[in-house]
Amino acid sequence: MADSSGPISAKRCDSLNASSVSMDTITSLTELEDLERVYQQLCTEEKAVEVELDKLVGQQGVINTKMMTLQRMGPNLQLIEGDASQLSGMITFTCSLAENVSRKVRQLDLAKTRLYKVIQRADDILDLKFCMDGVQTALHNEDYEQAAAHIHRYLSLDQSVIELSRQGEEGSSVDASLVMLQEAEQKLKVIVAERLDAAVAAVDLVQVERFFKIFPLLGLHQQGLARFGQYLCSQLASKTEENLLLATGGDISEKRAPLVFAETLTLLLEGIARVVESHQPIVETYYGPGHLYTLIIHLQQECDRQAQKIVDKFIQQRDYHSKFQVIQNSMMKSQMPTERIEPRELDPVLMEVTLMNARAELYLRFLRRRMMADFEVGDTQSPTQEHQQNVEKLLKHCLLSTTMQELIGYYIPMEEYYMRESVNKAVQMDTYEKGQLTSSMVDDCFYIVKKCISRALSSSNIDCLCAMINHSTSALESDFREVLYNKLRQGFPATTLQDIQRGVSSAVSLMQSSLQQGKFNALGIESAENAKAAFLVTLNNAEVCSENITTLKRNLENDCSKLFMQGPASGDHAKIDSCLSDLVNTSSKFKDLLQEGLTELNTTAIKPQVKPWITAFLSISHNIEEEEFNEYEANDPWVQQLIVNLEQVMAEFRTGLSPVSYDTLTSLMTSLVAIEMEKTVLKCTFSRLGGLQFDKELRSLVAYLTTVTTWTIRDKFARLTQMATVLNLERVTEILDYWGPNSGPLTWRLTPAEVRQVLALRIDFRSEDIKRLRL
Amino acid sequence: MSMEDYDYLFKIVLIGNAGVGKTCLVRRFTQGLFPPGQGATIGVDFMIKTVEIKGQKVKLQIWDTAGQERFRSITQSYYRSANALILTYDITCEDSFRCLPEWLKEIEQYANSQVVTILVGNKIDLAEKREVLRHRAQDFAESQSMVYLETSAKESDNVEKLFLSLAGELIREAKQNKLDNSDAAPTLGEGKSISYLGCCSIN
Repeated sequence: MADSSGPISAKRCDSLNASSVSMDTITSLTELEDLERVYQQLCTEEKAVEVELDKLVGQQGVINTKMMTLQRMGPNLQLIEGDASQLSGMITFTCSLAENVSRKVRQLDLAKTRLYKVIQRADDILDLKFCMDGVQTALHNEDYEQAAAHIHRYLSLDQSVIELSRQGEEGSSVDASLVMLQEAEQKLKVIVAERLDAAVAAVDLVQVERFFKIFPLLGLHQQGLARFGQYLCSQLASKTEENLLLATGGDISEKRAPLVFAETLTLLLEGIARVVESHQPIVETYYGPGHLYTLIIHLQQECDRQAQKIVDKFIQQRDYHSKFQVIQNSMMKSQMPTERIEPRELDPVLMEVTLMNARAELYLRFLRRRMMADFEVGDTQSPTQEHQQNVEKLLKHCLLSTTMQELIGYYIPMEEYYMRESVNKAVQMDTYEKGQLTSSMVDDCFYIVKKCISRALSSSNIDCLCAMINHSTSALESDFREVLYNKLRQGFPATTLQDIQRGVSSAVSLMQSSLQQGKFNALGIESAENAKAAFLVTLNNAEVCSENITTLKRNLENDCSKLFMQGPASGDHAKIDSCLSDLVNTSSKFKDLLQEGLTELNTTAIKPQVKPWITAFLSISHNIEEEEFNEYEANDPWVQQLIVNLEQVMAEFRTGLSPVSYDTLTSLMTSLVAIEMEKTVLKCTFSRLGGLQFDKELRSLVAYLTTVTTWTIRDKFARLTQMATVLNLERVTEILDYWGPNSGPLTWRLTPAEVRQVLALRIDFRSEDIKRLRL
Repeated sequence: MSMEDYDYLFKIVLIGNAGVGKTCLVRRFTQGLFPPGQGATIGVDFMIKTVEIKGQKVKLQIWDTAGQERFRSITQSYYRSANALILTYDITCEDSFRCLPEWLKEIEQYANSQVVTILVGNKIDLAEKREVLRHRAQDFAESQSMVYLETSAKESDNVEKLFLSLAGELIREAKQNKLDNSDAAPTLGEGKSISYLGCCSIN
C-alpha cells in the first residue's frame, strides 16, 4: 500500500506544480486570447486530475480488504509474542543449567587430577619404600643389577614430589627412606666402580660387561664408558705389543717380512673395528644412541698411542727417515750426491707406506660411518652440524691421521725419486730392435709412471695421488720430453741420394785408400744409418707417448671412480680431475713435438731431393708441336720418373714410421710438391699442346699422390689444377667462360693478377689480349 | 654446459706458514664468507671462481695449500703448473714474516720461472697487534721484485683487489707471450695498452 501511495502523492504534487497558472496570473490577464489559452490549459489539467481521482477511488476496495486481513492478524501476533518470551525464558534456564554442570565437571576434573597425583605420589612413596627395601636386600644378596634398577627407579622419580612428600605427615619416615636410599646409591656406586675395576684388572669380560651395564642406571654414563674404554684399551695395548714384538722379533717368514709393519697396524685397526662392532649393541642398548662417539674417543687415544709405536718402529727398522734424507740430498741438483739409493730398493718400503695409509683411511671411514649412524638414531632425522663437526675433528686431527700424513709427506718425494730415477734408467738402457717402430724406453717409462701413480692411488690418500699425478706430469713433460727433443735436435742425417752421388768421387778415393790400408771403413755410413733409424724411432716414440698419456688418463679415471666410489666429497673429484687434465695436456705437447720432427724431416730429408726432380720439369720443353706431343705420349719425359723417385724416397719412411706419422709426412711431402711445382711452372713457357701436356702430367701426379695418402690432396693442388686449366685455354677470352659469374661451383684460388701471369706463359697468347681482359 | 666458457684459465696457488689466513682469503674471495674457527687445511683445497675483466671471462683455479710442514711435499707438487703464487704472511706474526725467504727458496726450486709471485700481508684488521711494519714488508717485496698488498679476509679489505689485479697481470703476461710467440704481431701496442692498475677498475 505504501508502495502505491508514493507515486500517487508524487503525481499529485507534480500536477499541482504543473498547474503553473496561478490565480494572480489569471486575474491579471486582459487579453481574450490569453484567457482562452489559459482556460484550455486549465481544462486539460482538470481532465487529468479527474482521471487520477477515478483511479484512486478504484483502489479503495483493495485497500479495505487488506485492512481487514491486518485486523484479523492482530490476535495471532500477541500469541507469538507470548511464545517468544517463553522460549527466551527456557533458554536462559538451560544456559545456567549448563554452566552449573560444566562448573561441576571442572571441579570433578580437578579432583580427578589431584587424585591421580595423590595416587602417583602414594605410588612413588611406596616405590621409594619398595626401592629402599629392595636395595637393601639386593645389596645384601649382591644382586647389583636389581639394586641398580631400584636406584634407577629412585633417580627417575620427580625430585619435587619427593621433596613434597617429605613435608607431609609421613615426612619423617620418607626422610629416613631417602637418606637410606642415598646412602645405598653412594654405596652401590662405589661397589660397582670397584667391582668393574676389579673385573678390568682380572680381565674378566663377563664381569666387565655386567658392571658396565649398571653404570647408566646410576646416571654414570661417562664414567662407565671411560672405564669400559680403559678396559678395551688395555686389551688392545697388550695385543698390539705382542704383535709388535713378533714383528720386530725377526722370527717371521720371508714372505711377510716386507710388509710386517703394515700388517701389525692392520691388526691393530681391525682389532679396534671389531671391538666397536661387537660392543656397539651393548652401548646402544644400555647407554642409548649417541654414546658410541664417547667410547670411540677413548679407544682412539689408545689407537693413537699404539699406532705411533708401530710407526716409530717402522721408521726405525726401515731407515725411513735416513732413506728420505739421502734421496732429498740426491734430488738437490746443486749438491754432488755422495750416496745414492737404487730405486728398486725403495719398492718394498713405498709399498708398505701406502698400505699403511690405505688401512688407516679404511679404518677412519669405518669409524665415521659408525658414529654418524649412531648419532642418526639419536638425532631422529640427520646428525646435527655439531655432531658432524665433532666427528670430523676427532678423525681428521687424531694422532693416527697426522702420523699418516707425515709418512705420506716423506713418501711423495721418495716415490718421485723412484719414478725419475727409473725413467732415467729406462732412457739410459734404451734399446731398439730392428723392425720395431718404437724403442724400449717408451714402454718402460710408461710402465714406471703407471706403477708409481697406481701405488699412490693405492694409499687411498687423494692428495697423495694428486701430488704423484703432478710429478708424473712434470716428469713426462720436462724430463722425458726433453730426451726425445734432444734426440730430434740431432737431426736426420742428410745422406741423401744426391749427397752420396756428390760424395761418390771422394768416397771412392776414401775407399781406395782404406782398401790400400787393408780395412774398409763403413763406420761412417753405418752410423748415419743408425742416426736415421734413431730419428724415426724417436718420432714414433713421441707419437706413442701422446697416445699413452691419453690412455693413462682414461685408465686412471676409471680406477679413481672405482676406488673412491663411496668416499670423498665432490671437491676431491674436482681436484683429481684438474690434475688429470694437466696430465692429459702433455699429450698434445708430444704431438707438437712429433709435428715439429716430421716438418724437420720433410725439410731436411725430402725437400733437397724433391726440389731437383721438380726443377727437371724446366728442361722438358712445353713449347711443343704435335710431333713432340706424340713423342711425349710414347716416352714420358718427366712425370713417371718423378713418381718413381717419390716412391723411392718415401719407401724408407713407410717402413720406419708408424702409419699415422707416415701419413702426416706424406701430407707434408705433397704440400711441398705442390709448392715447388707452382714455382717451377711459372718459370716455363707453354704452347697450346704444352698446356695439354702439363695438364696430363699434373693429372698423373695427383692420381698417384691420391693413392699414397689418406689426406685429401685436391685442396693442395687446387691452384695448380687451375693453372693447368688456364694454360689449356683455346683463346685468351675463353677464361671469361670460367671466371666471375660463370665460375659455377669452381672457387678460384688464383688472383686476377696471377691468372694474367699464367696466361702470359702461353707463347701464343698476345699480351695486349691479356691486358685487355676484364677480370 | 660448455667446457670452454672462459677466455683465460689461470692457476693460482696460495702458500705461506700455517695459520696466516690462506683459507680465509680464498673463502672470502670465492664464497664471500669469513668462517671463523676453521681447522687447519689438510693437503690442498681447490676452488674455482670465474671473474670478468674488461669483458673477458677469466676462470681462476685457486689452490689453497696446507701450511703445516708435513704437507709440504704435497703442496710442492702444485708449484710447477701454477701461473701465480700468492705468498701470504700474517702481519701480527713476526715468525710468519721471517719464514718468507725460505718460501722464496721453495718457489725458486719448484715453480716455473715465469710464475707471478705476489706478497700478501693478511690480518690488517688486527692493527693493534701488528708486529711487521708495512714499510719493512714493502722493502722486502721490492728487493725481491714482488708486488706487495695488505689484506683483511675478515673485513674483506683488498681481497677482491688482490685476485683481480693478479688476474689482470696474468692476462697481460699471456698476451705478451702470445705476441712473443707469434711471428705476425699485428697489434703490438695492444699488450701495453692494458695497464696493470686498470684491471682493478672493473665490475
